[in-house]
Amino acid sequence: MWLGLRAILIKDIVVELRARQVLPTMVVLGMLIVFILRMASESASAGAGAPVMGAAALWIAFLFSGLLAQERSFAAEQQNGCMDGLLLAPLDTGTIYLAKLLANIILLTIFEAVVVPLVLMAFHLRVVGWGRLAAVLLLGNLGISSVGTLFSAAVQLTRTRGALLSIVVLVLLMPMMIPASFALLVLFGALPERVIGSGSFAFVGSFQAAVAYMLAFDAIFTVASWLLFGVVVEE
Amino acid sequence: MTAQDELTGAALSIRAVSKTFVTKPVLRSIDLVVPAGEAVCLCGINGAGKSTLLRVIAGLLRPDSGSITIQGYELRREPEKSRRQLGMISHASMAYPELTVSENLAFAARLYDVPRRAERIEELLTSTGLTSYRHDRAGILSRGLLQRLAIARALLHRPAVLLADEPFTGLDAGATEDVRVIFDRFVRDGGTILMTTHDLRLGLQCCRRAAVLDRGVLILDARTEKIDAQRFLDDYLSYARSMS
Repeated sequence: MWLGLRAILIKDIVVELRARQVLPTMVVLGMLIVFILRMASESASAGAGAPVMGAAALWIAFLFSGLLAQERSFAAEQQNGCMDGLLLAPLDTGTIYLAKLLANIILLTIFEAVVVPLVLMAFHLRVVGWGRLAAVLLLGNLGISSVGTLFSAAVQLTRTRGALLSIVVLVLLMPMMIPASFALLVLFGALPERVIGSGSFAFVGSFQAAVAYMLAFDAIFTVASWLLFGVVVEE
Repeated sequence: MTAQDELTGAALSIRAVSKTFVTKPVLRSIDLVVPAGEAVCLCGINGAGKSTLLRVIAGLLRPDSGSITIQGYELRREPEKSRRQLGMISHASMAYPELTVSENLAFAARLYDVPRRAERIEELLTSTGLTSYRHDRAGILSRGLLQRLAIARALLHRPAVLLADEPFTGLDAGATEDVRVIFDRFVRDGGTILMTTHDLRLGLQCCRRAAVLDRGVLILDARTEKIDAQRFLDDYLSYARSMS
Protein backbone atom coordinates (compact mmCIF):
# COMPACT_ATOMS: atom_id res chain seq x y z
CA MET A 1 0.00 0.00 0.00
CA TRP A 2 2.69 2.52 1.06
CA LEU A 3 4.79 1.94 -2.05
CA GLY A 4 1.78 2.57 -4.31
CA LEU A 5 0.68 5.58 -2.29
CA ARG A 6 4.19 7.07 -2.39
CA ALA A 7 4.48 6.37 -6.12
CA ILE A 8 1.23 8.17 -6.96
CA LEU A 9 2.01 11.08 -4.62
CA ILE A 10 5.51 11.63 -6.06
CA LYS A 11 4.18 11.23 -9.61
CA ASP A 12 1.49 13.88 -8.99
CA ILE A 13 4.02 16.34 -7.59
CA VAL A 14 6.52 15.75 -10.42
CA VAL A 15 3.76 16.13 -13.03
CA GLU A 16 2.63 19.41 -11.41
CA LEU A 17 6.19 20.74 -11.18
CA ARG A 18 6.71 19.98 -14.87
CA ALA A 19 3.29 21.09 -16.16
CA ARG A 20 3.04 24.11 -13.81
CA GLN A 21 -0.67 24.23 -14.49
CA VAL A 22 -2.36 24.25 -11.13
CA LEU A 23 -0.25 26.08 -8.55
CA PRO A 24 0.34 29.30 -10.55
CA THR A 25 -3.39 29.49 -11.38
CA MET A 26 -4.28 28.89 -7.73
CA VAL A 27 -1.95 31.66 -6.57
CA VAL A 28 -3.22 34.15 -9.17
CA LEU A 29 -6.85 33.35 -8.27
CA GLY A 30 -6.07 33.64 -4.55
CA MET A 31 -4.31 36.98 -4.98
CA LEU A 32 -7.20 38.24 -7.07
CA ILE A 33 -9.73 37.30 -4.38
CA VAL A 34 -7.62 38.96 -1.66
CA PHE A 35 -7.13 42.06 -3.80
CA ILE A 36 -10.86 42.42 -4.58
CA LEU A 37 -11.92 41.97 -0.96
CA ARG A 38 -9.20 44.35 0.17
CA MET A 39 -10.46 47.00 -2.25
CA ALA A 40 -14.08 46.37 -1.23
CA SER A 41 -13.22 46.77 2.45
CA GLU A 42 -11.03 49.87 2.01
CA SER A 43 -13.00 51.86 4.55
CA ALA A 44 -12.99 49.03 7.08
CA SER A 45 -9.38 47.94 6.68
CA ALA A 46 -8.08 49.80 9.67
CA GLY A 47 -11.15 49.29 11.80
CA ALA A 48 -13.07 46.46 13.38
CA GLY A 49 -14.20 45.09 9.98
CA ALA A 50 -10.69 44.15 8.86
CA PRO A 51 -10.50 40.79 10.71
CA VAL A 52 -13.91 39.83 9.33
CA MET A 53 -12.87 40.65 5.77
CA GLY A 54 -9.47 39.00 6.29
CA ALA A 55 -11.05 35.75 7.50
CA ALA A 56 -13.53 35.83 4.63
CA ALA A 57 -10.73 36.48 2.11
CA LEU A 58 -8.73 33.52 3.43
CA TRP A 59 -11.53 30.97 3.34
CA ILE A 60 -12.90 32.15 -0.01
CA ALA A 61 -9.40 31.97 -1.52
CA PHE A 62 -8.80 28.49 -0.06
CA LEU A 63 -12.17 27.21 -1.20
CA PHE A 64 -12.01 28.34 -4.79
CA SER A 65 -8.31 27.71 -5.35
CA GLY A 66 -8.68 24.32 -3.66
CA LEU A 67 -11.54 23.42 -5.98
CA LEU A 68 -9.41 24.39 -8.94
CA ALA A 69 -6.57 22.11 -7.84
CA GLN A 70 -8.88 19.19 -7.06
CA GLU A 71 -10.71 19.48 -10.35
CA ARG A 72 -7.34 19.22 -12.13
CA SER A 73 -6.09 16.29 -10.07
CA PHE A 74 -8.40 13.76 -11.76
CA ALA A 75 -8.74 15.60 -15.06
CA ALA A 76 -5.01 14.89 -15.50
CA GLU A 77 -5.67 11.17 -14.98
CA GLN A 78 -8.31 11.16 -17.71
CA GLN A 79 -5.82 11.97 -20.46
CA ASN A 80 -4.36 8.90 -22.18
CA GLY A 81 -6.52 6.63 -20.02
CA CYS A 82 -4.14 7.05 -17.07
CA MET A 83 -7.00 6.47 -14.62
CA ASP A 84 -7.42 2.98 -16.10
CA GLY A 85 -3.71 2.46 -15.50
CA LEU A 86 -4.20 3.28 -11.81
CA LEU A 87 -7.31 1.12 -11.48
CA LEU A 88 -5.57 -1.82 -13.14
CA ALA A 89 -2.75 -1.75 -10.58
CA PRO A 90 -2.96 -4.18 -7.64
CA LEU A 91 -3.90 -1.43 -5.22
CA ASP A 92 -7.14 -0.95 -3.39
CA THR A 93 -8.99 2.15 -4.56
CA GLY A 94 -8.66 3.68 -1.08
CA THR A 95 -4.89 3.93 -1.61
CA ILE A 96 -5.42 5.89 -4.83
CA TYR A 97 -7.78 8.22 -2.93
CA LEU A 98 -5.30 8.76 -0.08
CA ALA A 99 -2.45 9.51 -2.49
CA LYS A 100 -4.57 12.03 -4.40
CA LEU A 101 -5.78 13.56 -1.12
CA LEU A 102 -2.20 14.00 0.11
CA ALA A 103 -1.16 15.59 -3.19
CA ASN A 104 -4.06 18.05 -2.94
CA ILE A 105 -3.26 18.84 0.70
CA ILE A 106 0.37 19.57 -0.23
CA LEU A 107 -0.68 21.87 -3.09
CA LEU A 108 -3.14 23.74 -0.87
CA THR A 109 -0.52 24.03 1.91
CA ILE A 110 1.95 25.64 -0.52
CA PHE A 111 -0.84 27.96 -1.63
CA GLU A 112 -1.65 28.82 2.01
CA ALA A 113 2.01 29.63 2.65
CA VAL A 114 1.79 32.29 -0.07
CA VAL A 115 -1.68 33.68 0.61
CA VAL A 116 -1.77 33.82 4.45
CA PRO A 117 1.08 36.38 4.78
CA LEU A 118 -0.51 38.34 1.94
CA VAL A 119 -3.87 38.53 3.76
CA LEU A 120 -2.23 39.39 7.09
CA MET A 121 -0.38 42.28 5.44
CA ALA A 122 -3.27 43.46 3.26
CA PHE A 123 -5.72 43.64 6.16
CA HIS A 124 -3.18 44.65 8.85
CA LEU A 125 -4.11 41.66 11.00
CA ARG A 126 -2.51 40.50 14.23
CA VAL A 127 -2.65 36.81 15.03
CA VAL A 128 -3.38 35.55 18.54
CA GLY A 129 -1.45 32.25 18.52
CA TRP A 130 0.44 31.20 15.39
CA GLY A 131 0.34 27.52 16.31
CA ARG A 132 -3.43 27.63 16.62
CA LEU A 133 -3.67 29.45 13.28
CA ALA A 134 -1.59 26.70 11.61
CA ALA A 135 -3.82 24.03 13.18
CA VAL A 136 -7.05 25.72 12.01
CA LEU A 137 -5.68 26.19 8.49
CA LEU A 138 -4.55 22.56 8.35
CA LEU A 139 -7.98 21.33 9.49
CA GLY A 140 -9.67 23.55 6.90
CA ASN A 141 -7.25 22.30 4.25
CA LEU A 142 -8.04 18.65 5.12
CA GLY A 143 -11.79 19.28 5.03
CA ILE A 144 -11.71 21.07 1.67
CA SER A 145 -9.33 18.50 0.17
CA SER A 146 -11.11 15.37 1.44
CA VAL A 147 -14.50 16.36 0.00
CA GLY A 148 -13.04 17.97 -3.12
CA THR A 149 -10.86 14.97 -3.99
CA LEU A 150 -13.81 12.57 -3.86
CA PHE A 151 -16.07 14.78 -5.93
CA SER A 152 -13.41 15.69 -8.46
CA ALA A 153 -13.20 11.95 -9.23
CA ALA A 154 -17.00 11.70 -9.39
CA VAL A 155 -17.51 14.60 -11.77
CA GLN A 156 -15.06 13.19 -14.29
CA LEU A 157 -17.94 10.95 -15.34
CA THR A 158 -20.32 13.87 -15.90
CA ARG A 159 -20.36 16.61 -18.51
CA THR A 160 -20.88 19.50 -16.14
CA ARG A 161 -17.55 18.76 -14.44
CA GLY A 162 -16.21 21.86 -12.66
CA ALA A 163 -19.60 23.50 -12.21
CA LEU A 164 -21.06 20.43 -10.55
CA LEU A 165 -17.97 19.98 -8.38
CA SER A 166 -18.23 23.54 -7.07
CA ILE A 167 -21.94 23.24 -6.28
CA VAL A 168 -21.71 19.91 -4.45
CA VAL A 169 -18.48 20.65 -2.60
CA LEU A 170 -19.58 24.11 -1.47
CA VAL A 171 -22.84 22.74 -0.08
CA LEU A 172 -21.07 19.89 1.71
CA LEU A 173 -18.44 22.20 3.17
CA MET A 174 -20.96 24.60 4.72
CA PRO A 175 -21.05 22.78 8.10
CA MET A 176 -17.28 23.18 8.37
CA MET A 177 -17.07 26.78 7.18
CA ILE A 178 -19.07 28.14 10.14
CA PRO A 179 -16.70 26.85 12.88
CA ALA A 180 -13.73 27.55 10.56
CA SER A 181 -14.75 31.21 10.22
CA PHE A 182 -15.41 31.41 13.97
CA ALA A 183 -11.93 30.07 14.73
CA LEU A 184 -10.20 32.54 12.41
CA LEU A 185 -12.19 35.45 13.83
CA VAL A 186 -11.05 34.45 17.33
CA LEU A 187 -7.44 34.20 16.16
CA PHE A 188 -7.66 37.62 14.45
CA GLY A 189 -9.07 39.14 17.63
CA ALA A 190 -12.54 39.92 16.24
CA LEU A 191 -14.38 37.54 18.57
CA PRO A 192 -13.78 36.44 22.16
CA GLU A 193 -12.79 32.83 22.83
CA ARG A 194 -16.34 32.09 23.99
CA VAL A 195 -19.55 33.52 22.48
CA ILE A 196 -22.89 33.34 24.24
CA GLY A 197 -26.26 34.30 22.76
CA SER A 198 -27.98 33.42 19.53
CA GLY A 199 -26.83 33.06 15.91
CA SER A 200 -24.51 30.67 14.13
CA PHE A 201 -21.38 31.73 16.01
CA ALA A 202 -23.11 31.34 19.37
CA PHE A 203 -24.09 27.87 18.18
CA VAL A 204 -20.36 27.09 17.80
CA GLY A 205 -19.79 28.49 21.30
CA SER A 206 -16.02 28.55 21.76
CA PHE A 207 -12.70 28.23 19.95
CA GLN A 208 -12.21 24.73 21.34
CA ALA A 209 -15.67 23.70 20.13
CA ALA A 210 -14.94 25.18 16.68
CA VAL A 211 -11.76 23.12 16.41
CA ALA A 212 -13.64 20.04 17.64
CA TYR A 213 -16.35 20.56 14.99
CA MET A 214 -13.67 20.87 12.29
CA LEU A 215 -11.89 17.75 13.55
CA ALA A 216 -15.14 15.78 13.53
CA PHE A 217 -16.01 17.02 10.04
CA ASP A 218 -12.55 16.07 8.72
CA ALA A 219 -12.65 12.64 10.34
CA ILE A 220 -16.15 11.83 9.05
CA PHE A 221 -15.60 13.09 5.52
CA THR A 222 -12.09 11.70 5.09
CA VAL A 223 -13.15 8.21 6.19
CA ALA A 224 -16.43 8.34 4.23
CA SER A 225 -14.66 9.57 1.08
CA TRP A 226 -11.97 6.91 1.44
CA LEU A 227 -14.65 4.21 1.70
CA LEU A 228 -16.80 5.63 -1.11
CA PHE A 229 -14.00 6.25 -3.59
CA GLY A 230 -14.16 2.73 -5.05
CA VAL A 231 -17.88 3.09 -5.78
CA VAL A 232 -17.35 6.52 -7.34
CA VAL A 233 -14.60 5.51 -9.77
CA GLU A 234 -16.19 2.26 -10.83
CA GLU A 235 -17.98 2.66 -14.16
CA MET B 1 -9.97 -21.96 -9.26
CA THR B 2 -12.79 -24.32 -10.19
CA ALA B 3 -11.98 -28.03 -10.41
CA GLN B 4 -12.52 -27.86 -14.16
CA ASP B 5 -10.13 -24.92 -14.57
CA GLU B 6 -7.55 -26.77 -12.49
CA LEU B 7 -7.82 -29.81 -14.73
CA THR B 8 -7.55 -27.77 -17.93
CA GLY B 9 -4.81 -25.49 -16.54
CA ALA B 10 -6.89 -22.43 -17.41
CA ALA B 11 -5.12 -19.11 -17.04
CA LEU B 12 -8.31 -17.21 -17.82
CA SER B 13 -11.78 -18.50 -17.19
CA ILE B 14 -14.90 -16.53 -18.09
CA ARG B 15 -18.18 -18.08 -17.00
CA ALA B 16 -21.63 -16.82 -18.03
CA VAL B 17 -20.57 -13.18 -18.08
CA SER B 18 -23.28 -10.70 -19.05
CA LYS B 19 -23.23 -6.92 -19.13
CA THR B 20 -25.93 -4.42 -20.01
CA PHE B 21 -25.47 -0.69 -20.57
CA VAL B 22 -28.71 0.96 -19.41
CA THR B 23 -31.12 -1.21 -21.43
CA LYS B 24 -28.77 -2.44 -24.14
CA PRO B 25 -27.24 -5.89 -23.56
CA VAL B 26 -23.59 -5.73 -24.61
CA LEU B 27 -22.39 -9.14 -23.42
CA ARG B 28 -24.75 -12.11 -23.20
CA SER B 29 -23.66 -15.06 -21.10
CA ILE B 30 -20.10 -15.30 -22.43
CA ASP B 31 -18.17 -18.48 -21.66
CA LEU B 32 -14.51 -18.65 -22.58
CA VAL B 33 -11.69 -20.66 -21.04
CA VAL B 34 -8.12 -19.95 -22.14
CA PRO B 35 -5.29 -22.25 -21.00
CA ALA B 36 -1.84 -20.97 -20.11
CA GLY B 37 0.42 -20.45 -23.11
CA GLU B 38 -2.38 -19.81 -25.58
CA ALA B 39 -3.20 -16.72 -27.65
CA VAL B 40 -6.82 -16.06 -28.58
CA CYS B 41 -7.88 -13.57 -31.19
CA LEU B 42 -11.25 -11.99 -30.44
CA CYS B 43 -12.96 -10.76 -33.60
CA GLY B 44 -16.15 -8.88 -34.20
CA ILE B 45 -17.48 -5.80 -35.88
CA ASN B 46 -17.61 -2.43 -34.11
CA GLY B 47 -20.04 -2.62 -31.22
CA ALA B 48 -19.85 -6.40 -30.94
CA GLY B 49 -18.67 -6.10 -27.32
CA LYS B 50 -14.95 -6.92 -27.70
CA SER B 51 -13.57 -3.94 -25.78
CA THR B 52 -16.31 -4.25 -23.16
CA LEU B 53 -15.37 -7.88 -22.59
CA LEU B 54 -11.70 -6.94 -22.12
CA ARG B 55 -12.64 -4.14 -19.69
CA VAL B 56 -14.85 -6.53 -17.72
CA ILE B 57 -12.00 -9.05 -17.51
CA ALA B 58 -9.64 -6.27 -16.39
CA GLY B 59 -12.03 -5.31 -13.60
CA LEU B 60 -12.62 -1.86 -15.08
CA LEU B 61 -16.29 -2.68 -15.61
CA ARG B 62 -18.44 -4.73 -13.26
CA PRO B 63 -20.35 -7.54 -14.99
CA ASP B 64 -24.05 -7.87 -14.22
CA SER B 65 -23.64 -11.61 -13.76
CA GLY B 66 -21.10 -14.38 -14.20
CA SER B 67 -17.59 -14.86 -12.87
CA ILE B 68 -14.04 -14.31 -14.06
CA THR B 69 -11.05 -16.22 -12.75
CA ILE B 70 -7.48 -15.23 -13.57
CA GLN B 71 -4.71 -17.68 -12.64
CA GLY B 72 -7.01 -19.17 -10.03
CA TYR B 73 -8.01 -15.87 -8.45
CA GLU B 74 -11.66 -14.91 -8.68
CA LEU B 75 -11.78 -11.29 -9.82
CA ARG B 76 -14.58 -10.15 -7.48
CA ARG B 77 -13.29 -11.99 -4.41
CA GLU B 78 -9.59 -11.24 -4.84
CA PRO B 79 -9.41 -8.18 -7.10
CA GLU B 80 -5.85 -7.15 -6.22
CA LYS B 81 -4.36 -10.61 -6.68
CA SER B 82 -6.27 -11.05 -9.96
CA ARG B 83 -5.16 -7.68 -11.32
CA ARG B 84 -1.54 -8.48 -10.51
CA GLN B 85 -1.82 -11.39 -12.99
CA LEU B 86 -3.05 -9.06 -15.75
CA GLY B 87 -1.37 -6.76 -18.21
CA MET B 88 -3.49 -4.59 -20.46
CA ILE B 89 -2.92 -2.73 -23.68
CA SER B 90 -5.91 -0.53 -24.48
CA HIS B 91 -6.71 2.16 -27.03
CA ALA B 92 -5.09 4.69 -24.71
CA SER B 93 -1.40 4.53 -23.80
CA MET B 94 -1.92 5.10 -20.04
CA ALA B 95 1.26 7.23 -20.18
CA TYR B 96 1.66 10.59 -18.44
CA PRO B 97 2.74 13.14 -21.08
CA GLU B 98 4.84 15.12 -18.57
CA LEU B 99 6.94 12.08 -17.58
CA THR B 100 9.69 10.54 -19.68
CA VAL B 101 9.49 7.01 -21.06
CA SER B 102 11.71 5.70 -18.23
CA GLU B 103 9.77 7.62 -15.58
CA ASN B 104 6.46 6.25 -16.85
CA LEU B 105 7.83 2.73 -16.59
CA ALA B 106 9.39 3.40 -13.19
CA PHE B 107 6.04 4.68 -11.91
CA ALA B 108 4.22 1.57 -13.16
CA ALA B 109 6.98 -0.63 -11.66
CA ARG B 110 6.40 0.97 -8.24
CA LEU B 111 2.64 0.49 -8.50
CA TYR B 112 3.21 -3.24 -9.12
CA ASP B 113 6.15 -3.45 -6.70
CA VAL B 114 8.29 -5.03 -9.44
CA PRO B 115 11.50 -6.55 -8.04
CA ARG B 116 14.82 -5.31 -9.57
CA ARG B 117 13.01 -2.42 -11.18
CA ALA B 118 15.95 -0.85 -13.03
CA GLU B 119 16.97 -4.14 -14.66
CA ARG B 120 13.43 -4.99 -15.69
CA ILE B 121 12.86 -1.52 -17.17
CA GLU B 122 16.12 -1.82 -19.09
CA GLU B 123 15.04 -5.23 -20.41
CA LEU B 124 11.73 -3.86 -21.68
CA LEU B 125 13.23 -0.70 -23.16
CA THR B 126 15.47 -2.99 -25.22
CA SER B 127 12.78 -5.48 -26.25
CA THR B 128 10.33 -2.75 -27.30
CA GLY B 129 12.99 -0.67 -29.07
CA LEU B 130 12.56 2.32 -26.79
CA THR B 131 16.13 2.56 -25.46
CA SER B 132 17.00 5.69 -27.44
CA TYR B 133 13.74 7.38 -26.40
CA ARG B 134 14.11 6.69 -22.67
CA HIS B 135 14.65 10.35 -21.76
CA ASP B 136 11.93 11.69 -24.08
CA ARG B 137 8.70 12.84 -22.52
CA ALA B 138 5.72 10.66 -23.46
CA GLY B 139 3.89 13.80 -24.63
CA ILE B 140 6.16 14.17 -27.64
CA LEU B 141 6.18 10.51 -28.75
CA SER B 142 4.51 9.38 -31.98
CA ARG B 143 1.49 7.05 -31.89
CA GLY B 144 3.69 4.07 -32.71
CA LEU B 145 6.21 4.82 -29.96
CA LEU B 146 3.41 5.42 -27.46
CA GLN B 147 2.01 2.01 -28.37
CA ARG B 148 5.42 0.44 -27.70
CA LEU B 149 5.49 2.22 -24.34
CA ALA B 150 1.99 0.86 -23.59
CA ILE B 151 3.22 -2.66 -24.39
CA ALA B 152 6.31 -2.25 -22.21
CA ARG B 153 4.11 -0.97 -19.37
CA ALA B 154 1.70 -3.91 -19.74
CA LEU B 155 4.52 -6.50 -19.62
CA LEU B 156 6.57 -4.79 -16.91
CA HIS B 157 5.29 -6.85 -13.96
CA ARG B 158 5.48 -10.17 -15.88
CA PRO B 159 1.72 -10.76 -16.06
CA ALA B 160 0.36 -14.23 -16.73
CA VAL B 161 -2.43 -12.92 -18.92
CA LEU B 162 -2.16 -10.10 -21.44
CA LEU B 163 -5.30 -8.35 -22.64
CA ALA B 164 -4.63 -6.44 -25.85
CA ASP B 165 -7.28 -4.21 -27.38
CA GLU B 166 -6.26 -3.49 -30.99
CA PRO B 167 -2.52 -3.68 -30.18
CA PHE B 168 -1.41 -3.11 -33.79
CA THR B 169 -3.31 0.15 -34.28
CA GLY B 170 -1.04 2.96 -35.43
CA LEU B 171 2.00 0.75 -35.90
CA ASP B 172 3.98 0.62 -39.14
CA ALA B 173 4.98 -2.71 -40.68
CA GLY B 174 8.29 -2.90 -38.81
CA ALA B 175 6.75 -2.07 -35.46
CA THR B 176 3.93 -4.55 -36.08
CA GLU B 177 6.48 -7.27 -36.67
CA ASP B 178 8.35 -6.25 -33.48
CA VAL B 179 5.13 -6.48 -31.46
CA ARG B 180 4.36 -9.87 -32.99
CA VAL B 181 7.79 -11.10 -31.92
CA ILE B 182 7.17 -9.79 -28.38
CA PHE B 183 3.80 -11.52 -28.25
CA ASP B 184 5.25 -14.79 -29.61
CA ARG B 185 7.96 -14.73 -26.95
CA PHE B 186 5.38 -13.97 -24.26
CA VAL B 187 3.24 -16.98 -25.29
CA ARG B 188 6.31 -19.23 -25.66
CA ASP B 189 7.22 -18.35 -22.06
CA GLY B 190 3.81 -19.59 -20.91
CA GLY B 191 1.87 -16.34 -21.10
CA THR B 192 -1.75 -16.11 -22.23
CA ILE B 193 -3.04 -13.48 -24.64
CA LEU B 194 -6.57 -12.41 -25.37
CA MET B 195 -6.49 -9.79 -28.08
CA THR B 196 -8.93 -7.97 -30.27
CA THR B 197 -7.99 -6.83 -33.74
CA HIS B 198 -9.59 -5.50 -36.88
CA ASP B 199 -6.73 -6.99 -38.88
CA LEU B 200 -8.06 -10.54 -38.98
CA ARG B 201 -5.23 -11.88 -41.11
CA LEU B 202 -2.72 -10.65 -38.53
CA GLY B 203 -4.89 -11.93 -35.70
CA LEU B 204 -5.06 -15.39 -37.20
CA GLN B 205 -1.29 -15.37 -37.72
CA CYS B 206 -0.62 -14.42 -34.10
CA CYS B 207 -3.10 -16.68 -32.36
CA ARG B 208 -3.82 -20.37 -32.15
CA ARG B 209 -7.46 -19.73 -31.44
CA ALA B 210 -10.09 -17.38 -32.83
CA ALA B 211 -13.34 -16.35 -31.21
CA VAL B 212 -16.03 -14.25 -32.84
CA LEU B 213 -18.37 -11.98 -30.90
CA ASP B 214 -21.60 -10.87 -32.50
CA ARG B 215 -23.84 -8.42 -30.65
CA GLY B 216 -22.56 -9.69 -27.34
CA VAL B 217 -22.83 -13.39 -28.16
CA LEU B 218 -19.83 -15.65 -28.70
CA ILE B 219 -20.80 -17.29 -32.01
CA LEU B 220 -17.51 -19.04 -32.84
CA ASP B 221 -14.62 -20.36 -30.79
CA ALA B 222 -12.22 -22.54 -32.78
CA ARG B 223 -8.54 -23.34 -33.16
CA THR B 224 -7.04 -21.46 -36.09
CA GLU B 225 -5.46 -24.59 -37.62
CA LYS B 226 -8.98 -25.97 -38.01
CA ILE B 227 -10.14 -22.83 -39.77
CA ASP B 228 -9.78 -22.30 -43.49
CA ALA B 229 -8.28 -18.83 -43.04
CA GLN B 230 -9.22 -17.48 -46.46
CA ARG B 231 -12.78 -18.73 -46.24
CA PHE B 232 -13.10 -17.45 -42.67
CA LEU B 233 -11.89 -14.02 -43.77
CA ASP B 234 -14.23 -13.92 -46.77
CA ASP B 235 -17.22 -15.02 -44.70
CA TYR B 236 -16.34 -12.58 -41.97
CA LEU B 237 -15.92 -9.65 -44.36
CA SER B 238 -19.21 -10.32 -46.13
CA TYR B 239 -20.92 -10.61 -42.73
CA ALA B 240 -19.34 -7.35 -41.53
CA ARG B 241 -20.45 -5.59 -44.72
CA SER B 242 -24.01 -6.87 -44.35
CA MET B 243 -24.11 -5.50 -40.77
CA SER B 244 -22.72 -2.04 -41.63
